[in-house]
Amino acid sequence: MEDKLTKEEVLHVAQLARINIDEDELETYQIELKKLLNEVEKISAVKGYDDEKLIASWDRKTELREDIAGEMLDPKEVINNAPRHSGNYIEVPVVIGDES
Amino acid sequence: MKYLNKPILEINKLLKEKVIKPLDLVEEAFANIEKNKALNAYITLNKEEAIKTAKELENKEVDNILFGLPIAIKDNIITKDLRTTCASHMLENFLPIYDATVVKKIKAKNMIIIGKTNMDEFAMGSSSRTSYFGAPKNPWNTNKISGGSSGGSAVTVAARDVFLALGSDTGGSIRQPASYCGIVGMKPTYGRVSRYGLVAFASSFDQIGPLTKNVYENALLLNAIVGKDDNDLTSADKESEDFTRLIGKDIKGMKFALPNYFMSDIVSQEIKEKIISVSKILEKLGAKVDYVDVKYLENAVTLYQIIAMGEASSNLARYDGIRFGYSLPNPTSIDNLYYETRKTGFGKEVKRRIMVGSYLLSGENAKIYYNKALSIRDDMQKEFTNLFQKYDLVIGPTTTTTAYDLTDPMDDPLKSFLDDVLVIPVNMAGLPGMNVPIGFSKDNMPIGMHIIGNKFEEAKMYQLASCIEKELNLALTPGGEINE
Amino acid sequence: MNKYIPTIGIEVHVELKTATKIFSNSINGYGQMANSLTNVVDLGYPGTLPTLNKEVINLAIKAATVLNCKIRKEMHFDRKNYFYPDIPKNYQITQNETPIGYDGYVEITINGEKKKIEIEEMHIEEDTCKSTHRSSKTLLDFNRAGVPLIEIVTKPCISSGEEAKLYLEKLRELLYYCDISDCKIEEGSMRADANVSIRKNEQDPLGTKCEIKNIGSISNVAISIDKEIKNQIELIENNKQIKQQTKRYDDKLGKNILMRTKETGNDYRYFPEPDIPYVILTEDMIASVVKTIPMLPDERRKVYQAKGVSELNANKLVQNRSLSDYFNKLLDTNINFKIASNILLGDIQAYLNKNEKQISDTTLTVTRFEELVKNVEDKTLTSKNLKDILVTVLEEESSISTIIKKSGIENIQDDQALRTIINSIISSNQETVNDYKNGHDRAIKFFMGQIMKETKGSANPKLAMDILLEELKK
Repeated sequence: MEDKLTKEEVLHVAQLARINIDEDELETYQIELKKLLNEVEKISAVKGYDDEKLIASWDRKTELREDIAGEMLDPKEVINNAPRHSGNYIEVPVVIGDES
Repeated sequence: MKYLNKPILEINKLLKEKVIKPLDLVEEAFANIEKNKALNAYITLNKEEAIKTAKELENKEVDNILFGLPIAIKDNIITKDLRTTCASHMLENFLPIYDATVVKKIKAKNMIIIGKTNMDEFAMGSSSRTSYFGAPKNPWNTNKISGGSSGGSAVTVAARDVFLALGSDTGGSIRQPASYCGIVGMKPTYGRVSRYGLVAFASSFDQIGPLTKNVYENALLLNAIVGKDDNDLTSADKESEDFTRLIGKDIKGMKFALPNYFMSDIVSQEIKEKIISVSKILEKLGAKVDYVDVKYLENAVTLYQIIAMGEASSNLARYDGIRFGYSLPNPTSIDNLYYETRKTGFGKEVKRRIMVGSYLLSGENAKIYYNKALSIRDDMQKEFTNLFQKYDLVIGPTTTTTAYDLTDPMDDPLKSFLDDVLVIPVNMAGLPGMNVPIGFSKDNMPIGMHIIGNKFEEAKMYQLASCIEKELNLALTPGGEINE
Repeated sequence: MNKYIPTIGIEVHVELKTATKIFSNSINGYGQMANSLTNVVDLGYPGTLPTLNKEVINLAIKAATVLNCKIRKEMHFDRKNYFYPDIPKNYQITQNETPIGYDGYVEITINGEKKKIEIEEMHIEEDTCKSTHRSSKTLLDFNRAGVPLIEIVTKPCISSGEEAKLYLEKLRELLYYCDISDCKIEEGSMRADANVSIRKNEQDPLGTKCEIKNIGSISNVAISIDKEIKNQIELIENNKQIKQQTKRYDDKLGKNILMRTKETGNDYRYFPEPDIPYVILTEDMIASVVKTIPMLPDERRKVYQAKGVSELNANKLVQNRSLSDYFNKLLDTNINFKIASNILLGDIQAYLNKNEKQISDTTLTVTRFEELVKNVEDKTLTSKNLKDILVTVLEEESSISTIIKKSGIENIQDDQALRTIINSIISSNQETVNDYKNGHDRAIKFFMGQIMKETKGSANPKLAMDILLEELKK
């Protein structure tokens, strides 16, 4: 097995995760991420299991909620924790692209 | 120390008879915490509010066994109006606007929240050294780690600052620090305790549980926090039960399985010897201990890494500097906001896991890794189900070594997973697991036994744990002054 | 142009008409103060978990049923991971692997022929928050975050803008009739995206597709699709390459505007949502929902026409759901449905429109309407009479016969009485009789005027005319 990821590979996962990586950190991540990936790669050696896949809450079944309204937040509470807001809106730098 | 080392039963009597007031306990707790400051067990103290609550309780009837008792809460459990940081720069100034379901239950029983305990950042780690606020220290030897991620909760209980603490366990985070600190820690069956208000790390493993100085008190705290919660679809619909009910009953005729893997070379000789001596005691008491092979145990860490990192990468996506938490000042664009907020807000361990988790789910990888891990997890669960048809409980060591030095290197990203190799299978199978102290190493660090039960059979685990506790009758208060 | 075969697939997002959101119990509402309809779950606060609204599952079962889909009995939700300011958790909870409905169809009629628009799948998911873009910032309102949606995806089986338009009209009608959604495109409760590509032969693989997003009205869907087809043909004819692009239709410019060119596919990192266990639908659950589905629009058209209502009127009735629902209550009676539909769509609808009322706001019970129709049918009421008494009929509660009596417009139905009056008019106007016999049509007008004058307008005109002609021939 390789002992480190390529720079491009690290930058790709950093992009998926939206985490900026400085040039001087790259090398460490190349090694550390590869160590973790080599470990998870061991799963390929696991054989003989049943293919059925179960999500988290194994034997539980979703209980549905009645369609009845509950308490809501005051808009003030919503914006209080937000780093940037204008009026009752939470604000972010302008997003160009999709309008929805 | 006047009260905090005493059994809860005794305290309850004193409170009922009005010999002492909740405020006496709260004051002693804060005095202890101040004295033990160097242990760094807390991120935030709730002093003003705790004293206020204690005074209010003076006019109330002592209506339950946990009334008026100081309790510490791990800092990844949401407390309204009390800073909740997850030991991260990302939430350093985060003031929640709601209470976790367990916190509501704690308040309903009139326990008094003393503060929020130190931990690994977002519960990712096994030594609490990934905390943004510095690592807590082991009260048995302040040069040693507390274990993690619920390090602060284990430390403050071991140091007798409080009677009770809540931790969370995703891959051993209650049991492992409990073992390192010489206390009792229980990770209940997945679904036993509501996760609503527990900051998610790996949703399909996370579970809140109690840390206490003894077995009986652990069961008492579990009594108070379990129950179905309509806010958590993964919480189980179980009748309430008294987890203390089997405590003190003898274990004659019970059958325990000891997996060979748990006694393999990965575990230190010293610890193995302790386990063997305890199993001999159990046999002497009329129980049977069989060495067994359990499939997939050696794969548990790999499977755990895949599922936990995959889920974590998604659960932690919400920390983006928009609605709450740390945010890059004056961002120039939305991407600038995302990339820099998450670069600065998260520590290294967290970033590593998020990146690897993103990779594991990307493109076709989800099928190769995540989905396959889910399938094997299911098989592993069946393996345990079969085992529990023949055995009452599974036993083994909780950790492979005792607590190591705080100064040990942190640069191996695998280390934090391998520290939990013996406790992770329990989370994989959704089972309850607990640590009970069984002695000390040559250098006087606590050693613990790991007890694994079938789903929803916590009461039986307490039965065995209390039996061991009684037989060994260990002195479990860290001796001498704990100041550096 | 015929050298190319256009292939179009349509994805429609529809907001469900529930009281609360899909994964939290805050109110599902529109047009309220920004961030006033949210709670910690909608905002993706640390530690929060989703719950699942029963009504969402019910409405999705209903939708799957009327779209002729197969319904999955065991399903789960998935997380679709991507960073965008309008999704609070930076993942959307959706159904990727196990959509609740699949393999369905909607039938349209194009150029007199029926065509099935095949539905690939239909799944449940949560809506995003609303973004408003300013010059240097984007403002977020989370009221819409977590509003339940169903997404309906067709197979690439649509071949023109017109077909797409007919499909969307049909879809809207079905969902609206079943109370699944308001389907208001202008309020965003129904949103359509179209994927358009062209190829030369049926055997060829599908061409590079262009996605047109969030088209503002159904008629614009047809226009923008046809423009895109034309654009793609021109590119090919000029030996240019079609790029995989996302566009939007600009109504003012009447053009598709490029939003972005896709470089690589999106990596959504789907995985099963661990916070929501399996959702299991029982036969009982499905049956009890299916029971609540009303008679569907196509069925209504068929039934109305079978009862003698004209095609035009049948369509008009179905276009107005409250009138159609009202009409359905009459179906068991044996009135003249042609007359009934004329009255309902004529004077009554005019009244309702003018007064901004619903038929249910009037006093016109089914029984009174039945009586009204009978009176028109047996000519007790002329259309003029009907106009005169309509307001009273719709606003007061007395029986129709009482209203007729009170207003003094009891028409002379009695054959003999009318004949006597007519004969006396004929005998005293012999000159006009001669005019008639000499072929002057004016004479009839004169006689009818005299008859109406004599009877103070209460004679049934048709009856009067019949008797007059009969008597003149004698």
